[in-house]
Amino acid sequence: MNLLIDVLIAIGLVVLAWQALVGGSLFRGIVMFIVFGLTMALAWARLGSPDLAMAEAAIGAGVTGALLMIAYWRLRALGASRPTPRSRLRARLALGVGVLSSVLVAMIGLAAVEAIGPGGEAGQALAAALPATGLGNPITGVLVIFRNLDTLLEVAVLLAAYVASRAALGDDKAALPLPPAQDAPLVGALVAVLAPLTVLVAIYLLKAGSQLPGGAFQAGAVLAAGGVLLMLAGRLHPAPLCGLGLRIALVAGTVVFSGVGIIMLALGQPLLAVPGTWAVYLIETAMMVSIGATLVLLFAGSAGLSGKALR
Amino acid sequence: MSHAEVWVVAAAAVFGIGLYSLLIAAHLLRQLIAIKVMGSAIFLVLVVAAGPIDGALDGLPKALVLTGIVIAISAIAFALALLVRLAEVTGSTSLEDDADDDR
Repeated sequence: MNLLIDVLIAIGLVVLAWQALVGGSLFRGIVMFIVFGLTMALAWARLGSPDLAMAEAAIGAGVTGALLMIAYWRLRALGASRPTPRSRLRARLALGVGVLSSVLVAMIGLAAVEAIGPGGEAGQALAAALPATGLGNPITGVLVIFRNLDTLLEVAVLLAAYVASRAALGDDKAALPLPPAQDAPLVGALVAVLAPLTVLVAIYLLKAGSQLPGGAFQAGAVLAAGGVLLMLAGRLHPAPLCGLGLRIALVAGTVVFSGVGIIMLALGQPLLAVPGTWAVYLIETAMMVSIGATLVLLFAGSAGLSGKALR
Repeated sequence: MSHAEVWVVAAAAVFGIGLYSLLIAAHLLRQLIAIKVMGSAIFLVLVVAAGPIDGALDGLPKALVLTGIVIAISAIAFALALLVRLAEVTGSTSLEDDADDDR
């Protein structure tokens, strides 16, 4: 019975990938991609990783989907030409390459499943070292304590992606106004309920992340979803200037994380050592704020945000 | 077939579809989706290959994949900005050579 559910979700993944990528209109492809992301979240849940399920649903499907949609909308508004389809010969060659690469991934994956067996050495070492940290969630342990250089650089990569996007887009012509918000009575009521709820859920995920599934990335993505919601409802607008508060929010994760690490170095500890559970919370809070702010600004395609429309 | 094998085979099929689409799609937005889908397939192999499914013992690959998901969205966001800029400057959504470009 359990196997049957796995097989169904696995078949769903393959079919949705095909629907998202081959044939059909681009808009349909984006919608199918979002459904693919949500099905991936189901797969992660079946694999016993609720952390990944939440991250995939919020970031992989939700925010990525929103970014793809807004980019699609901007391309349409720019009146960009649609490319001509590729030749038949190329399609046949691509089919062969696709099938061969698929076989290759299957062989590597199946060999790895047999070779490693239950629980790698790193996983066992992690399970042995985790109780000493006071954390209950091994993923948070890896992200903030054991492999925290990866996580610090990851937050830096997100910041770099935002800065690079700003550089690529240049002036705010690219930050197209979103569709005008209809002042429908339901929108206001919905926003009034959902916006505080996203903040509440984000803080809960952050707090739960030390012991239970959750953490800064999921919390940041939920915050970003709240921001996107406010933009779509016409409560937040792209602005040409980045205010001081927003700047602090953008760099908070990188600065606090590396700041704690450097202070520990000055105190004679190894670089990036984490002094205790309070520091884990401090770092994760700063990361949550940064991730949320960066993702909303990437969606807005602008330097800043303001409560008032420009035009 | 065991649980792990089911996921690996599905991930391999998804990867193949992604690469096929990456090669035949002319629109850059579609190619970006293909890259994202291929990445998801690799994440799936990485977590499944690492160890027990029901015991949920090995947190390390899951943490790596969580990092990977965030890196993926960073890369996609930057690529989308480049794509919008490309369309602004050239009016095209493809990197194909023009039809009159005989090469």
